[in-house]
Amino acid sequence: MENPVKLLNDFAFLGNEELLSLNNACGWSLNIKELLQIQNHFRKLKRPPTRAEMETIAQTWSEHCKHKTFAGPVVFKCNGKTKKYKNLFKETIVKATRKLHKKWCLSVFKDNAGIVEFGKNKKWGLAFKVETHNHPCAIEPYGGAETGVGGVIRDIMGVGLGAKPVLNTDVFFFGRIDSKMKLPPHALSAGRIFRGVVEGVRDYGNRMGIPTAAGGICFDDGYALNSLVYVGCAGIIPVEKIHKKAKTGDIILAIGGRTGRDGIHGATFSSADIVEETSSSAVQIGHAINEKKVLDALLKARDLNLYNAVTDCGAGGFSSAIGELGAETGARVCLENAKLKDTSLAPWEIWVSESQERMILSVPAGNIKKFIEILEAENCEYCSLGHFTNDKKLVVTHKGTPVVNLDMSFLHGGIPKLAKQASHRLPSYADRLRKGRQVTGHKPPKKNKKYYLQILKRILSHSNVCSRHSVIQQYDHEVQGGTIVKPLAGLNQNGPSDAAVIWPHSATGDLNDFSGFAVSHGFNPFVGKINPYQMALYSADEAVRNLLCVGADIIKTAFLDNFCAGNPENPEIMGDIVLAAEGCYDAAMGFGAPFISGKDSFYNQSKDANGRDYAIPTTLLISATAPVQDIRKAITMNLKLPGNPVFIAGITAKGLGGSIYNEIEKSGNNHIAQADIKKAVKLYNAILKTIKAGFVASAHDVSDGGFAAAISEMAFAGGLGAEIDLSNMPREKGISEIELLFAESPSRLILEVKADKEKSFLKIVRGLPVSKIGYATSVACLEIKKEGAVLIKENIESLKNCWKQKLL
Amino acid sequence: MKPKAIILRGPGTNCDIETFSSFRHAGAAPELVHINKLVSGEKNLLDYSILALPGGFSYGDDISAGKIFAVKIRKLAGNIKKFIHEGRPVIGICNGFQVLVKTGFLPENKKHKQVSTLYTNECGHFLAKWVKLKVNKKSPCIFTKNLPDEIELPIAHGEGKFIVEDKKIMDEILNENLCSLTYVENPNGSMHDIAGITNKKGNCFGLMPHPERNLFIWQNPDRKTPIKEIQAAGYQIFKNSVDYAK
Repeated sequence: MENPVKLLNDFAFLGNEELLSLNNACGWSLNIKELLQIQNHFRKLKRPPTRAEMETIAQTWSEHCKHKTFAGPVVFKCNGKTKKYKNLFKETIVKATRKLHKKWCLSVFKDNAGIVEFGKNKKWGLAFKVETHNHPCAIEPYGGAETGVGGVIRDIMGVGLGAKPVLNTDVFFFGRIDSKMKLPPHALSAGRIFRGVVEGVRDYGNRMGIPTAAGGICFDDGYALNSLVYVGCAGIIPVEKIHKKAKTGDIILAIGGRTGRDGIHGATFSSADIVEETSSSAVQIGHAINEKKVLDALLKARDLNLYNAVTDCGAGGFSSAIGELGAETGARVCLENAKLKDTSLAPWEIWVSESQERMILSVPAGNIKKFIEILEAENCEYCSLGHFTNDKKLVVTHKGTPVVNLDMSFLHGGIPKLAKQASHRLPSYADRLRKGRQVTGHKPPKKNKKYYLQILKRILSHSNVCSRHSVIQQYDHEVQGGTIVKPLAGLNQNGPSDAAVIWPHSATGDLNDFSGFAVSHGFNPFVGKINPYQMALYSADEAVRNLLCVGADIIKTAFLDNFCAGNPENPEIMGDIVLAAEGCYDAAMGFGAPFISGKDSFYNQSKDANGRDYAIPTTLLISATAPVQDIRKAITMNLKLPGNPVFIAGITAKGLGGSIYNEIEKSGNNHIAQADIKKAVKLYNAILKTIKAGFVASAHDVSDGGFAAAISEMAFAGGLGAEIDLSNMPREKGISEIELLFAESPSRLILEVKADKEKSFLKIVRGLPVSKIGYATSVACLEIKKEGAVLIKENIESLKNCWKQKLL
Repeated sequence: MKPKAIILRGPGTNCDIETFSSFRHAGAAPELVHINKLVSGEKNLLDYSILALPGGFSYGDDISAGKIFAVKIRKLAGNIKKFIHEGRPVIGICNGFQVLVKTGFLPENKKHKQVSTLYTNECGHFLAKWVKLKVNKKSPCIFTKNLPDEIELPIAHGEGKFIVEDKKIMDEILNENLCSLTYVENPNGSMHDIAGITNKKGNCFGLMPHPERNLFIWQNPDRKTPIKEIQAAGYQIFKNSVDYAK
């Protein structure tokens, strides 16, 4: 490779091949169409681009920043028909939000995070964002997770004029710890990544003083080479602070950490396959206390109205943050003013470094003195980088030498669109060809008591069902004193909660306002492998059901979407994404729940040990939040009182596709029950009424592991037994015992009703598929019968011991 | 008049807001003050009636938990000594307890030397969970008065294993009932299951669990109790100090 600097000087004359090799050598991850567009632009300017200009464009146009796949055109071919999208994102997810047009959505899809109304007097907004940090975690799990957490927290600190973070969430997808898969030499084992990621989330989140109180962990060998690390953050912001605008003449103030060599090319590297040579200097280094100082100072300055705009330095560093804040004004930057960790940095490196814990603000000159007083009182470093102008140009110099001189209009609007091809994958068909297995509906055989108990125990101890306490308890999930429904329910913390309920009095300062909010997640890549459309419905349904189980006002549910997939140039992968996005649209319309924010991460694939492309299963994470009117009335999943009747709501349907049972037994029955959102909404609304009336003592969703696992968890979490009779369980005709116990059909939950409220409860749920199936008992034993025969009978202590595995 | 409580914070303190709210709820007039303001003399410790050192990761817990904060407040040792000597209530929660131990204010000794430590938990990492605690009814501690025999509070720390090397000092803690709170099931390997200790006068109290996270019954993970009884163990602890300071 020739010297990149020399090639840059001849930029106008380079052919396609040379452009691409320059692109590879510099790590820009631009495609040929984009490179030609840039070449054309600089030909018109009659000068070659500088390295820093190319870096700025590459960062700004990166998949990470622009989401060109999701927001780009797609041609989808399915069963001989063709559907064309001009902008997939706008025609599915955003379309639902626009159509639903909820007035409690205060800011959607434009800022760092979505914001919905919060609290009883409409004084507050709740900002929520979920990000992925997959690529960094694959290379350096601890640092990757730390900076992932730090980054999403800064998103919340930089939304509007700054929100106070009150909740962190994290969802992980790893390869199986006991995997027998052969890994290529550079890949880290699932166990190593898992440990590193948990420690990173712990050390950063705990130091920031933000409770990590919701999330999930899922193991599947599809993630063996590319694990997924989703990090989320929710914050509270005064409604009058949700809009920002940098003003001409304002000083560009950088606060927080110094700029170093760490994290150069983070944004562009996230669009590249991970190979042996991938450099870990693309991963940043985190320092939580610096960020805590920034947070403390920022909120003080916000409340004194000292600045007009703020944003975080995330992907692309100064180049993206200043480029975005000044998109409508223009900006003049003197890089020699930046505080550095390493003085040998080249100007372009300072400009794109993604060093952590930095925020950019637009501060009127008259407020600088007061602002600096606050920063110094909190021991927070700062530097003034320049000012916002009115010429709509981005001009950067270093000691008088020009570094960047770009039109904002080219930087933000010049990116060419590239259509992606998508096709319908028929995995069930492929499965049938490959494995010679029947795809749908044969009836699982009747088995005996011993078999059912053995399966239940294997399900409870399965890595996708068993206790997450060894992870959860490493997180400070109760700092700020507002975690009302905690990740582990019951006094002995032996039950998995469905959702977190947060009472953000640390942000509102009001112990007499009992408004709170619930946060939950839904994901199901196992269903997704069979049917990506149903995966979206299942995930949304599970997220809403989880909110319902703690007593949240699901009528005001807001969703967040996070897509992760392999290379979108592969039409089948793009087809999965189209189907899942259509599922998101239908789920949002069905539940009346708008999406308020979303993110996507592609190129989650690597070469396996045999040198073949190995992509993750297309994965959709739906995160959901809804208000809790009175946190004192929120409910948990542990059984409360012997003698209380137990009900099941929702129809148990045939099919074991994507279930834990199938993972254990490989039944060959891959049928998936179709989710019916309309029916689910009717059912959930009635149940919410009974919860709000105080009739329900505990509630738990039926999902991973099916009914038998859910009722076991409720029993041992409460330290009580239960006597259950499945004879009257609402069910699809012709269903087997195995399916009644272990199927994972959607839209079902178990309710413990207060004995003296049973009649009132029944009045509200009349006509709906809700049946009494037994009682909570003081005898610590779970007994499940059907038509006189005992299917399962076991001491709850022994079930709990199966569940309480130490994952870490 | 409401007694003035100073909630002393520094870089990395993160339980300051809820500690502030707890004191306010218990009837004090709390104020959040950055350590820099005491060191610079802008604020004077002796203008307050109660001192609280809240939890968190002061200065990142670099070196060891609470160590740098302890070095910083050594500059104020004279005033703190006076504050404690005059019987004004002092409470150190979690990181605050670590600071009191590392400055030598707890366990109490004449030279204010560090005679004990709070070391890395037996399990080797940070641990957050609810624990049951036995209340030592014979303890002179003013903070734990009127509590039931057993209470529940959450812990959240990586370095909470209480160790005293000198047997004489440990004997004194045990014999004089200076150990006001002990774990029912020891979560971190503390000697004699000690969760919180006080001085002989009972006005200086350090504990690893977080009373500010259990002000109300609805903060309990069990959620079985009807919400009529709204005050929880944590509230009583703050209320005791406010009543004492009045």
